[in-house]
Amino acid sequence: MASAANANLNAVRETMDVLLEISRLLNTGLDMESLSICVRLCEQGINPEALSAVIKELRKASESLKASENSTN
Amino acid sequence: SSSITELLSALCDCSLSGVSWKRRALGGVSRESFRRTLKKRAYGALLSKLFQDGTKASASGPGVTDNTPPRNKVLMICFDLRVAGCREEAERLEEQLERLSEGSSSGLKEVDAVLELLVYLAGSAPPPPTSF
Repeated sequence: MASAANANLNAVRETMDVLLEISRLLNTGLDMESLSICVRLCEQGINPEALSAVIKELRKASESLKASENSTN
Repeated sequence: SSSITELLSALCDCSLSGVSWKRRALGGVSRESFRRTLKKRAYGALLSKLFQDGTKASASGPGVTDNTPPRNKVLMICFDLRVAGCREEAERLEEQLERLSEGSSSGLKEVDAVLELLVYLAGSAPPPPTSF
């Protein structure tokens, strides 16, 4: 039982490494932390296109905040 | 495992990394209020996309690439990379795609959905700085 769980954990780790490398090559801008959150959201059934819209929206919002920070410097 | 709301909050927190809050608090923008704004925008984007998808499907039917498997979409990107002269990147991408296990052997249930997400986000980040 424990060895099956270990094997599954190793498979998940390996898959995450490959997905991170694909993500890097595609220049998606996701780091390991945000990628693993996205993977878990996909596993919960969130539509990938809708999730990509969320990520782009969050980037826009945080970039505008950072830009306003720079303009007040 | 976490709920969708917890995961979306975590995603909002990720996008706040690197923002300095000390000076912002003086200007009246607190981390908490900005976090609430981010969550609102995240849910807005998520819901509008879901509703849009429903009307699109009923009005015009699925698009040409809608039914293309995500692995094939990545292969199409590899082709585009080759055409653009980025042979090494294309080969590396194909290699990684071959390494990606399918179904339960990957340890994940939705590998193709994640791949689809990566295709939607492809090229959305600024290009990495070139070193001289």
